[in-house]
Amino acid sequence: MIGILRRRTELGLIVLGAVIIGSAYTLAALGRTSSLPADIGPFLGVVLGLFVAAHIATRKLAPGADGLLLPIAALLNGLGYVMIARLDEAAPKPRGLAAAQAGWTVIGIGTFIVTLLVVRRVRDLQRYRYTFLLLGLLLLMAPLVPGIGREVNGARIWAYLGPLSFQPGEFAKVVLAVFFASYLVEKRELLGMATFPRFRPVLPDPKHLGPVLLAWMFSILIMTAEKDLGSSLLFFALFMLLVWVATERSAYLGVGGVLFAGAAFFTYKTFNHVHDRVQNWLDPWAHKATTGFQVIQSWFAMAWGGVVGTGLGLGEPRRIPVVETDFIFAAIAEEMGLLGAVAVIAAYVLLVGCGLRIAVRAEAPFEKLLAAGLTILIGVQSFIIMAGVTRLLPLTGVTLPFLSYGGSSLVANYVLLALLIRVSHDSAQRAGEVDA
Amino acid sequence: MNRQLRRLGVGLLACYLALFAMVNWVQVFHAGYLNNHPDNVRKIVRDFDQPRGQIISADGAVLAKSVPSAPGDPFTLQRQYPEGDLFGHITGYLNINFGATGVEAQYNDELSGHAVAQEYETLRDLFVDRTHTADVTLTVRKDLQQAARDALGDRKGSVVVMDPRDGSILALWSFPSYDPNLLSTHDAKGAQDVKAFLEANADQPLRGRTWQERFFPGSTFKIVTGSVGLESGKVTPDDPAFPRESAYKPPDSDKTIGNFGGEVCGGRLFEILRESCNSAFARMGAEVIGPAAMKAGAASFGFNDTPPIDLPAAVRSVFPDSNSPAIIGQASIGQNNTQATPLQMALVTAAVANGGIMMTPHVMQQIRDDNGKVIETYTPKPWRTPISPQTAATMRQAMIGVVQGGTGTAARISGVEVGGKTGTAELNDTGSQSEAWFTCFAGPPGATPTVVVTVLVENQPGASEGTGGRVAAPIARQLVEQVLAIQAGG
Repeated sequence: MIGILRRRTELGLIVLGAVIIGSAYTLAALGRTSSLPADIGPFLGVVLGLFVAAHIATRKLAPGADGLLLPIAALLNGLGYVMIARLDEAAPKPRGLAAAQAGWTVIGIGTFIVTLLVVRRVRDLQRYRYTFLLLGLLLLMAPLVPGIGREVNGARIWAYLGPLSFQPGEFAKVVLAVFFASYLVEKRELLGMATFPRFRPVLPDPKHLGPVLLAWMFSILIMTAEKDLGSSLLFFALFMLLVWVATERSAYLGVGGVLFAGAAFFTYKTFNHVHDRVQNWLDPWAHKATTGFQVIQSWFAMAWGGVVGTGLGLGEPRRIPVVETDFIFAAIAEEMGLLGAVAVIAAYVLLVGCGLRIAVRAEAPFEKLLAAGLTILIGVQSFIIMAGVTRLLPLTGVTLPFLSYGGSSLVANYVLLALLIRVSHDSAQRAGEVDA
Repeated sequence: MNRQLRRLGVGLLACYLALFAMVNWVQVFHAGYLNNHPDNVRKIVRDFDQPRGQIISADGAVLAKSVPSAPGDPFTLQRQYPEGDLFGHITGYLNINFGATGVEAQYNDELSGHAVAQEYETLRDLFVDRTHTADVTLTVRKDLQQAARDALGDRKGSVVVMDPRDGSILALWSFPSYDPNLLSTHDAKGAQDVKAFLEANADQPLRGRTWQERFFPGSTFKIVTGSVGLESGKVTPDDPAFPRESAYKPPDSDKTIGNFGGEVCGGRLFEILRESCNSAFARMGAEVIGPAAMKAGAASFGFNDTPPIDLPAAVRSVFPDSNSPAIIGQASIGQNNTQATPLQMALVTAAVANGGIMMTPHVMQQIRDDNGKVIETYTPKPWRTPISPQTAATMRQAMIGVVQGGTGTAARISGVEVGGKTGTAELNDTGSQSEAWFTCFAGPPGATPTVVVTVLVENQPGASEGTGGRVAAPIARQLVEQVLAIQAGG
């Protein structure tokens, strides 16, 4: 019964989301061309069709799952599409990003359904943990392999397989989150006990800490080599927070903090691009025409939006370099104002809230940790990019989940969403809220 | 694990709250600053190709206007600057790609009809979509601007003419200048090329040297040192009598501060100002006044602060922050790290002329909307009060002495009370190149002076204390005569 209610809520919210997306699409067209979009009917049909398909899949495959996750993701995905379409249309040379993003949304939702189909029980994933580790590391390394990897805009995070190009790091995040969760579940008792060194134990046995520490250091090193600051930061946070949650020992947080400070200082001193980012955070005006340009343009855009925004299609967000991916939040803040920006922030807070609620409700430690890890990925990634765009923190380029342009990011986040929904359903089933 | 998960939730929520606060700050509390920032072109883009008021000189010449574009132009209105480079720095340009400068940027809201006073003039305006553009009338006169340009010729330099009584700028010329028409063209490529060409020029013609560039003020800075000495009470017209010497040796350095040509000079305030005696003024700043009081005194004259002129991107003048008598000694005669804009030296002179009150410099006189109704008139206001009326009166007499029988005799005008100070700043150790300064006030004898003129001629061959008096003072005299004639006629 509860399952049915949740699904009805989900459907209702999806319809509401589709109305919002359709309105935004109409407004953006009015703002740009002063005429109603000719394809508003088909557009609404496709939006509704896609998300209702995802809804039906949850209804069939995970009927007990939380009903908020999918509508929020759909709303963000749809708003992102409207923004991308509007931005690409205004570009000096439109690159067809809107069509590409639409295609990726279809693939993303397809992957979402397939993930729900394939992963029937979350705990099955635990069995393949070392496969996941291997897969994760391979994905991470792919951009460094000559012939496959390629450097774009200073970061080496792309892989090319024939006609297909993607960012393997986006998928590595999800895969490694699964590995961390399963490994930590197995070793959490051991990691929670201090047995080393023998004469005055302060650390857990290196035998247990070793593998996971290695995996983590390896990931960080690779991402440093790829100059992917944002992902390095994200991994650091994911790993430290998961170890802390798993072992219930706050000391790990302290150690993590010290390690982080050390690593941050070292990279700041060693790597020019890190140094630039920090300098531009402290004082972007000093390099306003070069490295500080982007953040300053982002601020100008947000300030121009004010409280209510310029209106969709009526701002000048194209003045921000790479606005479709990393800086889409600034474009939203300009055209939808403080109200739109806060709505987006609230959407991510809700996603995080749902994710953590799923983690708390889950009974099995693995499910708990997995849900926590996936939530940390979404919550921390969204925070660090929005904080970078608003200059709350130094800028580290990552995508804004579901909103930014980018196929890999979108598809990986739909996999992530499916896994969260799966955990949520498993808990509901265990609680007897839906039939087994 | 649930306790940790809840704490994690609280932690993440705290992060998002910080983000929420930051978004509020950028989009609401800091937005006004960002929207008006000179690097932000959004306002210019919004107002581009919309009706826009004229910029008019005090003597009625149209300096900027919008006319219908040539056929085939994608925009309907073209901004024109009939006076070309004569007012280039003051009016600025208007370009959809790189924004606006000068008065076009400073008074963009008024010219385009976005100032609050214009938007809702009548209740009816609330309901009809009609904006009142406005014309901005400047205090700057075309005839004086032209005279300054003719007098300076093709020498790099600056001329500032202002009224010390209300801070209004009557002329603000610097060479080289640029023609804003070339940068306001709708030919994006052409404008870009011109901009790149001008920016590549080592003389920076796009920058108004009068208020956007700093120079060594040399001996003109002695007006500040003398005033600070008088104000502190440690210097009076009679005391101290500075030793007659060819160089001053500071207590903390072996490097002496010498007079031009190794001349021996010294004596009391009026005498040392008349002869522009380096050793005496260095000793006054370093020992009689002392570093702390000298720094505070320079700051009271507006050094290390940006003058609140109503033109964008003004730069501050600087006085070194040091407690070393050797450095403060050099700084007190306008060397070391003392640097000033020509505008700043005009303000210093104006403060002495105006009884110790330095008025806020401004170029806007009046703003009238498209119905001819005055919507704003500039209200003169003081910027700083660096010295008392008594100090100002004494300093004024000392500066009159410079023109009567000192280094500034070239600026003497019969029947007019002129007081000034010369300056020659060496640009290199060999003394082969220097900057010639002259700054002065003038007016009817006994009354408050009605005009201040500051002239800087750059890159003059040779360096002697006579250079400023010989090169710059005649230009100043010519402008003083013309201003006084205009004031007598008006």
